[in-house]
Amino acid sequence: MADHGINEKKGEGLHTSELNVGYDSDIVKNISLAAAPGKIVTLIGPNGSGKSTILKTVAGLLEPRGGVIMLEGRSRADIGSGEASKILAAVMTGRADPELMTCRSVIESGRYPYTGLFGKLSEEDVKKVDEAMAATDTTDIAGSDFRNISDGQRQRVLLARAIAQDPRVLILDEPTSFLDIRYKIDILTKIKKLTTEKNIAVLMSLHEPDIAMKLSDTVVAVGDGRVLRVGTPDEVFTEEFIRELYKLGDMDVALLGKIWVDGKNESTNIRYANVAASSISSKSRHLMIQGTMSNVGKSVIAAALCRIFAQDGYKVAPFKSQNMANNSFVTADGLEMGRAQVMQAVCAGAEPDVRMNPILLKPTDECGSQVVVMGKPVGNMRAAEYFEYKKSLVSTIKAAYDSLSSEYDIIVIEGAGSPAEINLKENDIVNMGLAKMLDAPVLLVGDIDRGGVFAQLIGTLDLLDDDERDRVKGLVINKFRGDKALLAPGIDMLKEKAKCDVTGVIPYMDINIDDEDSLSNRFARREAKDFDIVVIRLPHIANYTDFDVFEESDDISVRYERHQERIGKPDMLIIPGTKNTIGDLKWLKASGIADVITKLAGEGVPVFGICGGFQMLGRNIKDPEAVEGTESEMGLGLLPVDTVMKSSKTRKSFAGNISVPTGVLSPLAGHEIKGYEIHMGQTEPFDRACEFTSEGSGYCLGNVYGTYVHGIFDENMMAADIVRVISGLNEKSVDVSALADRAGYKQKQYDLLADTVRASLDMDAIYRMIQ
Amino acid sequence: MRKRCTFAFAAVILLLIVSVYTNLITGTVVIYPADILSAIAGRTTGAMEASVIMNIRVPRIIAAVILGGALALSGYMLQTFFNNPIVGPFVLGISSGAKFTVALALIFFLSGGRKPGTVSLVMAAFAGALVSMMFVLAISVRVKSMGILVVCGIMVGYICSAVTDLVVTFADDSNIVNLHNWSLGSFSGINMSDVAVMTFIVAICLIVSVFLIKPMAAYRLGEELAGTEGVNIILLRVLLILISSLLSATVTAFAGPISFVGIATPHLWKAMTKTSAPAVMIPGCFLLGGVVTLVCDGIARGLFAPTEVSVSSVTAVLLVPVVITVMIRRKRENG
Repeated sequence: MADHGINEKKGEGLHTSELNVGYDSDIVKNISLAAAPGKIVTLIGPNGSGKSTILKTVAGLLEPRGGVIMLEGRSRADIGSGEASKILAAVMTGRADPELMTCRSVIESGRYPYTGLFGKLSEEDVKKVDEAMAATDTTDIAGSDFRNISDGQRQRVLLARAIAQDPRVLILDEPTSFLDIRYKIDILTKIKKLTTEKNIAVLMSLHEPDIAMKLSDTVVAVGDGRVLRVGTPDEVFTEEFIRELYKLGDMDVALLGKIWVDGKNESTNIRYANVAASSISSKSRHLMIQGTMSNVGKSVIAAALCRIFAQDGYKVAPFKSQNMANNSFVTADGLEMGRAQVMQAVCAGAEPDVRMNPILLKPTDECGSQVVVMGKPVGNMRAAEYFEYKKSLVSTIKAAYDSLSSEYDIIVIEGAGSPAEINLKENDIVNMGLAKMLDAPVLLVGDIDRGGVFAQLIGTLDLLDDDERDRVKGLVINKFRGDKALLAPGIDMLKEKAKCDVTGVIPYMDINIDDEDSLSNRFARREAKDFDIVVIRLPHIANYTDFDVFEESDDISVRYERHQERIGKPDMLIIPGTKNTIGDLKWLKASGIADVITKLAGEGVPVFGICGGFQMLGRNIKDPEAVEGTESEMGLGLLPVDTVMKSSKTRKSFAGNISVPTGVLSPLAGHEIKGYEIHMGQTEPFDRACEFTSEGSGYCLGNVYGTYVHGIFDENMMAADIVRVISGLNEKSVDVSALADRAGYKQKQYDLLADTVRASLDMDAIYRMIQ
Repeated sequence: MRKRCTFAFAAVILLLIVSVYTNLITGTVVIYPADILSAIAGRTTGAMEASVIMNIRVPRIIAAVILGGALALSGYMLQTFFNNPIVGPFVLGISSGAKFTVALALIFFLSGGRKPGTVSLVMAAFAGALVSMMFVLAISVRVKSMGILVVCGIMVGYICSAVTDLVVTFADDSNIVNLHNWSLGSFSGINMSDVAVMTFIVAICLIVSVFLIKPMAAYRLGEELAGTEGVNIILLRVLLILISSLLSATVTAFAGPISFVGIATPHLWKAMTKTSAPAVMIPGCFLLGGVVTLVCDGIARGLFAPTEVSVSSVTAVLLVPVVITVMIRRKRENG
């Protein structure tokens, strides 16, 4: 099914998922179709089957009654009408009967989305209009009254108007109706030519099956209130199907030309029947990893499987419908997603993509979270509120998944928590609910290290419904230490009791990879080593994977501390990012840590503030829009900067350098850095502040450094260089070689992970599961 | 086309100057051209002449121009909204709705022995205009036929007039004369403070309509295509309704219902300029509407002087042929 148009690349063309359309009630339901750039997708079907309603909905003239429309990888609902009209243009069948309008002014109105408040055309606009007229042969009728030209010319002018809109998606509703043969040929030739020349994705409806058969790359047959079939013209235009679609019965069709492909045997096309049900979404193969509880190692096993499938030559993507995590990653498009899927994507050799984690919940306090959908925050919600809201996210999840599955061979899906939370089973979209929705086989993982693994696995299976239990194709015991032989009898009994295969036993791995944050053990108490880094463990700490790079060296300790007496005298002190700057700043002062920081800074200990920590180092944090509360708060006063909180969030990748570092880091001037920014405030410097990181993203004074750049330590040996400079100052010798190339180190760790898991699991059985 | 528009604007402005001048000098009190300038400059030759010019003729002229312009603009917006060339505030019953509520307000105030404020009259008129408008809108979503819409509008107008007559019948004698004059449509009795209020309201409407130039231009191609170009159709439609209602309500509050200016002016202007571009239509309709109304008012005053005929009679006689021509041409075009 390689060229059905549903294979559109990320962020291109048009794509709908489970779209329902209609006015007061659904006319056509469950429409999943896609138009890729340079391709023509044609809707066919009898009169009144709802083709025009579909096109109107896609064009934004009707609200969808369910499901999602994606334009260039973004949900149509998230795109304002002004912006959408720069992507999508349409020629509809409705009235276009303007009084005293020349053809040129009709075409000029296509520039509407680009002109200013009073619609005055710029030179660029005039040029685009000229081009559109040249491409449609309408130049010679430019001055004619639109009402005094022929139907064929009108259709050309309206096409020119749509082309002048400079669209990347074009909707055409029966562009050939009322035209005689000559004009039909004329307009269709122009459409075909423009589609390929301008690489536009075209979705149109046609009344004439013979033309649709010749012109289309993909044909979508609509009838009986649903999409009956999607495929190439050869696949759709079989005699039997066309007779059924148009209710021709045994009618003699000799009067018409060829309206189906001769000699095609229906049975070869049977797989395309009933497309609406599932065949689009089950295109790629998939496997879901669920765990008996949190922290059994689902993410890591999913990452390992991503790596293994990729090593075996497949194009692999990870997927997790909903992530609860404080650490987010910003993709190249400036969208937020969970770090676990980023790590899995890196394992799979795929570009991290927000579709891999469409929903991200970032806890803000005990019972509330910031909800991020398709990479953008939609608001803070209480648990009960979210429980209601998430019902509306099903189609978003489905659309993200469908879109991924059209691009990848295998998708490794990760569940969340346990599938047996029987109180939360209703409306589940993360575990069995998702597995059912996607029809995915499930591997259930238990954790032997924490004990009770048999009870975990059998108990979980017991609590599942029958159809859910049937989805579980294999059990995995994770984090096993010791002699496998001792486990063997237990496994036999487990197989028997659970009536399910055991796919493997994975040993406890001491492998250093990015982990999902909120449940990690990094906060376990650690002892100071040769080079001691203290990270203040703020109550709402965020993005602490920023400091993982330092843990690569055995000579360096990274201690997360929240009691002032335990801070001691580190070589370097870091105030990390936070979800609640003002709240955590108050905590800092109340706990006495603020005084310790001021004292250490006075003694010349290098102090770093990242993001929220940077804001705290300044003099003042004002919050006029009450982003995090209603007040303003005095900072620690170590940096001459002021911060104003804003409700708009800055989210971008960062590539720059160290500008004018003061104090111990002055040898690092000009050092290249990479990372990303994600914050809600703007920080302005005063008198003696020097720019620490370029583009005003950070400032410093003496040995106090603040920056908005997350991940600043990760790339270009930044961590190693900082440790070298500071330890040199303290006359220590620290082995920084392990910090040198974090990226290469990570890849090695991922390979090690994949090798271990491959050796432990019955991969043949897994490949059988996903067939 | 640009040349043609410039010419049309020049012609209308010239006509405006001529008719302002004519209206200033004609009337029961004979005024010589020389007196006008001195009266306006404040150097009076005769107290009576100055008073007539400053307190009667100048406000009346300004009112005729501004309210006439408002009617024409209102008509143009309604024609755009309904995509129907034969609608206007009078034909759709919007003026009559406003007339009814103004009559009610007048009687209410006068029977209480108070003189109604201009602002409360405008508000009453706006309320009445909106109610009729909603009624017409309710019909228009059910029936797509242009003809039926107009017939319904006229019927709404008749109902409103009938109820108004009924109310007038039972009102005090002293009020009736006042009401009777007003309900026929007249610019007499308008003073400078009225002029200030109407100028304020109409200026706001004009400013808002200037910002509608761009979406209205796109709307000419129909809702669907304008929608795909990014026009906020709902906002545009709401603004069109509100502005056209407010404009015709203002006219009704000050001068009573004046027929056919709203419906005919846009067509006259289109015939002069041969374009439907809102950037030309909005200022042009306003100016031409003002001129047409001023001329009609001059005729109403001068034709059977010293007796004044209602300005609506003059507009009807002069403008109905225009409307009929439009309908005939339209019919011919559509075959």
